[in-house]
Amino acid sequence: MSNSDFKKNYFELFDLPVQFALDSNTVGERFRLLQQQFHPDRFAGTSEQEQRIAVQYSALVNQAYTTLRNPLHRSLYLLELAGMTQQDVAAQKVDGGFLMEQLELREKLETIDTMVDPETFLDHLLQEIAADIKSHQAEFEQAYQAQEIEVAAMACVKMQYLEKLLQEAEQIESTWLD
Amino acid sequence: MALLQIAEPGQSPLPHENKRAVGIDLGTTNSLVATLRGGRAKVLPDAQGQEMLPSVVNYSNSDQILVGDAARALASQHPSDTLASVKRYMGRGREEVLADASRSRYELADDDEGMVKFLTAAGPVSPVQASAEILHALVSRAVETLDGDIEGAVITVPAYFDEAQRQATKDAAVIAGIPVLRLLSEPTAAAVAYGLDAGEEGVIAVYDLGGGTFDISILRLHRGVFEVLATGGDTQLGGDDFDAAISQWVLESCADATLEAGAYRELLARSRMAKEQLSYREQVEINLDSIVSAPDSLLLTRELFEQLIRPLVKRTLRSCRRALRDAQLDADAVENVVMVGGSTRLPLVREAVADFFSREPLVDIDPDKVVALGAAIQADILVGNRPEGDLLLLDVLPLSLGIETMGGLVEKVIPRNTTIPVARAQEFTTYKDGQTALAVHVVQGEREMVADSRSLARFELRGIPPMVAGAAKIKVTYQVDADGLLNVTAQEESTGAKSSITVKPSFGLADEEIAGMLKDSYSFASQDKFARQLAEQQVSAAQLIDGLEVALSADGDALLDAQERQVLEGKMNDLRALVDGSDLDSLRTSAEQLGRASEDFAARRMDKSIKQALSGVALDELAQGVDE
Repeated sequence: MSNSDFKKNYFELFDLPVQFALDSNTVGERFRLLQQQFHPDRFAGTSEQEQRIAVQYSALVNQAYTTLRNPLHRSLYLLELAGMTQQDVAAQKVDGGFLMEQLELREKLETIDTMVDPETFLDHLLQEIAADIKSHQAEFEQAYQAQEIEVAAMACVKMQYLEKLLQEAEQIESTWLD
Repeated sequence: MALLQIAEPGQSPLPHENKRAVGIDLGTTNSLVATLRGGRAKVLPDAQGQEMLPSVVNYSNSDQILVGDAARALASQHPSDTLASVKRYMGRGREEVLADASRSRYELADDDEGMVKFLTAAGPVSPVQASAEILHALVSRAVETLDGDIEGAVITVPAYFDEAQRQATKDAAVIAGIPVLRLLSEPTAAAVAYGLDAGEEGVIAVYDLGGGTFDISILRLHRGVFEVLATGGDTQLGGDDFDAAISQWVLESCADATLEAGAYRELLARSRMAKEQLSYREQVEINLDSIVSAPDSLLLTRELFEQLIRPLVKRTLRSCRRALRDAQLDADAVENVVMVGGSTRLPLVREAVADFFSREPLVDIDPDKVVALGAAIQADILVGNRPEGDLLLLDVLPLSLGIETMGGLVEKVIPRNTTIPVARAQEFTTYKDGQTALAVHVVQGEREMVADSRSLARFELRGIPPMVAGAAKIKVTYQVDADGLLNVTAQEESTGAKSSITVKPSFGLADEEIAGMLKDSYSFASQDKFARQLAEQQVSAAQLIDGLEVALSADGDALLDAQERQVLEGKMNDLRALVDGSDLDSLRTSAEQLGRASEDFAARRMDKSIKQALSGVALDELAQGVDE
């Protein structure tokens, strides 16, 4: 594959400005437009080599889409473009206050089965986590725009903590449903 | 089509005539073949007017293998030679299917290696071979009806089929001599059939309960693009289990609870009849004459029947819930529910689904035919009979793919419901000083331990230069193509030592086995293998040259410098000189060289096309200079 910039930057591939805020409808539109042209099905019946390249491009477009539409992946990717590896991000120290809050939320989650009305409680907890994530997204956006990469990375780490918690909460919910 | 040539919408780069392509629903219980005639998808009947071909193959007489009704008629007489529901055994090992096989009274070959084989009067038969017989029968039907050869086929598989099961299906097509355009998920095929007919937009759920498998898929149709958002299901749950539940109840109600193979098969057949009748009757008398000594018959009410199968139906709803969660949607976001598979005729199933999604499911298209019809439409698109941009299917990986790490743990490389094609790489390192080889164990499934996952393949990367532990960087890349088939590459970064495999699942057939079956099979019996390979190579070389010519005249000046162009044209001339000859090896080598030499050019053209594709819609951002 050639080394054009298109292969390095998902934002450019989708012809979007390199920034955190984006319109999810536009991302979807661009994604469909690119796949309409480059999906291997568009090259069915051509030589093996053409199909192989089409698979690579189509996979790249899929990867870009997956990264761009998910806020956490998107923020990690922006940090990567700014020169921070995932290890660098993971090494960021978060403040003690945040960690205390995390511990409390986690404790609530672990003792949920002893609650009088665990379902309502979980609903509230899920809402609380979702709201927290939103506020850290805003924090990230602001810091990134101001080119305060370290601050942005810290917001990103907090988003990671909360995502993980959210997944665990959803898992508890799924055991109830099954 | 030319080398990565992107035609203007509605324009085709080359004039073409309509090509014949078929869609095949290779079902557990019945199989169908459909094609497009006069712009509409139609199921092709056999000479007797029968559309459904029972997926049953009889091997009582090795000189005369029977498929369909003729085979089914022999089921009680020759239970172990008459293979039904072989789809349940595709890509499975002996240990996994023992219970199922003993329920069906099959005899299995003893070896524990590789895919299960049935012992029949005609010798050991793998489910892949039996499936090949069914595919062959369907394609013969199509060739006769359409009066000419078939360009290719789209074959449907349950969305939930894993790597081994998909590979087994593709192998069956190879043995039957059928060019596979694409393996397509059954629910996606059904959505295509509905989507095109009704011009629907929005979120669609496809509930597919067939003879042996259950699938649920959540899709979004938006401006001609079908995006599969999530898929789930159960490959070991279907209408057969409803029949078995009835038979089980009968046996529990009678004194003699064990039956001979033939009698049990007969009981299953009568249970199936009872089940079908209970869709429109309140109760049914099951005749037990010549099956058990007493009683002569048993009365089964719909209420009791529903009680027997309710746990099974509940299991399907659990899968629906998970698929919705994966798609990040609530049940009420689903605008249409499409029913597929004969088992969705049962009133209890329809009620449960309507209740779950809070809306009446669509049943306008015959649930037995809808998958084949959708596959036929997709086949027609893939052979290029429709203008570009007509319809595109974006499918997902049904089960997570992972790699074994220390302590028997699974590290997920690609999570389930990732849109395919996809390529993901992960870095690993050595754990011992001087380690020169790394074992790669590819697994599939959602569980955390390797022991609970499906083992797909193992291979070794050798030639790692001796270094201290943790110093080597080994990149393992998983690539899944549009058929959902996996390719794994491992590469040591510093030396470039490389090892790769197209995953041949542990419970798949070895290449030699396929070659052996090909040798025996009808499709190749009369054909010289060499002549066939030469012809194929000639066609693909000519395709490559034609494509490059068009590409060079369009973009050669703009994207290549004089030297690059000279190299490319030199290699084209080399290939031209060989293309009509009979030196297969040189032809192959020359084509590969040209292919490699033109890769970079092709990639540059793709980049240019991307820019063009987006420039039409993104003038506002371009104006802001974002492109800089």
